[in-house]
Amino acid sequence: MTTPNLKSNRSQVLPWIDRNRIFLLFFVILAFMTAFAPRFFNPFNLTTIMSTTAMNACVAIGFSIVMISGQLDLSIGTVITLAGIIGLGLQPRFGYAVSVPVAIVAGCLVGLVNGLLVTKAKINSFIVTLGTMTILQGVVYQSTGGNSIALSTPVAFSTADFLGKKLMPLVTPRILVTLALVAVFELVMRKTRFGRNFYMVGGNRNTAWLAGIGSDAYIIGAFMLSGLTAAVGGVFFAMESAAATQNLGTNSLMYVMSATIIGGTAMSGGKGGVFRSFVAILTLEILYDGVILFGLGNEVKIFLAGLILALVVLYEAYAVYKHDKVVGQRPYLLKELAEAGVKKG
Amino acid sequence: MKRLLLLFAVLALVAGTTFGQSAAAKKNLEDSLKVDVSVLKAADNQPLIVLSTEKKVIPARPANPEALPETDPLHWYDMEYAGWNTKKVNQPKSPGDGAIGKKIIFIVHGDHPWTTACILGAKKVADAYKIQFKALSPNWDLAVQNQMIDQAINERPDAILLIPLDAKTAPQQARKINEAGIPLFLFNTLPSAEAMNYCIAWTGPDDFGQQRKLARVWADEMKKRNADAKSIGVAYVQHAPGGSPYYARCWGPMSELSGYAPSVNTLIKDAPGFDADKASQVVGDWLTRFGPDLKGIFAADDSAQAIGIFEALKKAGRNDVVVVAAGNSRQGMDLVKQGKLFAITYQTAEGDGALAVKTASDWFNGKPVPPVSYIPQKIITKANVDQFYPAQW
Repeated sequence: MTTPNLKSNRSQVLPWIDRNRIFLLFFVILAFMTAFAPRFFNPFNLTTIMSTTAMNACVAIGFSIVMISGQLDLSIGTVITLAGIIGLGLQPRFGYAVSVPVAIVAGCLVGLVNGLLVTKAKINSFIVTLGTMTILQGVVYQSTGGNSIALSTPVAFSTADFLGKKLMPLVTPRILVTLALVAVFELVMRKTRFGRNFYMVGGNRNTAWLAGIGSDAYIIGAFMLSGLTAAVGGVFFAMESAAATQNLGTNSLMYVMSATIIGGTAMSGGKGGVFRSFVAILTLEILYDGVILFGLGNEVKIFLAGLILALVVLYEAYAVYKHDKVVGQRPYLLKELAEAGVKKG
Repeated sequence: MKRLLLLFAVLALVAGTTFGQSAAAKKNLEDSLKVDVSVLKAADNQPLIVLSTEKKVIPARPANPEALPETDPLHWYDMEYAGWNTKKVNQPKSPGDGAIGKKIIFIVHGDHPWTTACILGAKKVADAYKIQFKALSPNWDLAVQNQMIDQAINERPDAILLIPLDAKTAPQQARKINEAGIPLFLFNTLPSAEAMNYCIAWTGPDDFGQQRKLARVWADEMKKRNADAKSIGVAYVQHAPGGSPYYARCWGPMSELSGYAPSVNTLIKDAPGFDADKASQVVGDWLTRFGPDLKGIFAADDSAQAIGIFEALKKAGRNDVVVVAAGNSRQGMDLVKQGKLFAITYQTAEGDGALAVKTASDWFNGKPVPPVSYIPQKIITKANVDQFYPAQW
């Protein structure tokens, strides 16, 4: 009996498009903006895009890992703010050498608390991180009296200049930090057992347990990584601005969440990737940059981002529906039976 | 000989081009100086551009203003008088070739009806000077405003006009534009004093001065209504944290009244944002907590916040509380006309944007530009509110 060639070209192309949709979207938008947006394709503007991407791309690393683990972290926005406030607030007394690590450790601690509450107290991550977000907002507001923190010292300005200085085309030190983190975490998630276990925990916790994986430890770890990357993103952004405001990370939560979903990370867990989230953020930034260069308003930007997200979510829903419809079916078996002359039904 | 002739021809060409350019620049300047923007009107039929005639008295700076209590007006010295005593850094020289045909990028703080009116006013002046005008709004997002600044630098306009989203992040933003060699004009919200070093000029409302004036009117009315009271309890509904209105519209009146009306006693303050429901909830809680001791409310916004305040007062059955607010939106003026809001400030949104573009145009025209220019201050009460209709936003 010959093995039936069951895969048509169509059935090969569609999954490929599905797997690589964020890269296709990236190239389509990049090509469109390069062709039509005024002054888009020049080193200065491209560096601006990369620089704007840096904070949220950094935050998206940990956020993606949490989502891959099947959880959600709503506290990332306030961790960004907290890290910025700590990083700049402690600088005059202790210098950046102390204030930056303290800010990053604070982010990790927030993640640890989130992880412990989710795993040990068995509270839904949505509820836990919503609570953490609100509490942290109060802490930040209380500790600063609602004021922003700004540094106008030569050290602060020279650090800000250094972080925004071009090291090579399109790359400033702050962008380099983000790119390095994306590369490291992508490799860890793809190439190591430690990284792949996050997918296992998020995809099917029971299977992970049967495989001897301590799910709780991975979930706590995911939240800590989320706190860490959010803090790194926040503190470096604040350092480059030489100031940290009360609403530094306010807009990041919805933005990073949208980009992570657009990038293909499933909210149900077990699917997605750090690099994909990075490309999704870069794609949205290119889109936003183009919108501004065309002289269009903020409403157009929000509309386009919403449209892309809606299309992705609709597509995901359709894919789930289609998958559910064929669960248990064995098309090759049906075909073999048909070839053998056995009538269906 | 041939070489000499060639050299002569090149020199003649260069001289001719230079002379042609300078003649064109001279003509452009003459045409620009003929443009009269004083005839332009805002939507409320008030003149679009009017400068404050009140002379701002600048006191000597205390050695350490921040060491003074917040209720001392001089604690706010560096914010209130920002721009008056600064050392300008790396300032470009005026081209002196006329405003006509110049390109400016106008970066505001966020989407709001006030901003729409502000951009409209700016556009009226830009159109009068045939200035290429591009307005950008980051919708209250600092990262996006920083991105817009970078993009604006990339476009190499003749000037950037900026409302800093946050007073304390303004210095780094202003430095960046200054170092790119692009003339910078700040307007509307006051940045911290450091940012003023890097801009050619700042224009906008004297927010502290205006709120101090409103505070006096407010205190007078409260004292009239509570003649026998030894202490008059008040509360402040604050602006969004970060920008200068957050400070000017709370500590401005508070510090003014510490001297002018010491019997006025601050019970509480909060920043519930610009949502009528939240303002209503916060004020409702205050009314429960302080009861009849709460005699007055000072709001940073006369639209959503004021609506929320009156919802709460209505629910509590209180009509004895003297409420004043900053701004002159349509809702605010309607509330004044109905006798609910006792007073608001006149702050022309169109005039704010217009004055910024006018100042940049004056600079292009080679005119001397003062480091700080204020739009006029007026207090609107039921007695004069009709003069200010229709509202700009």
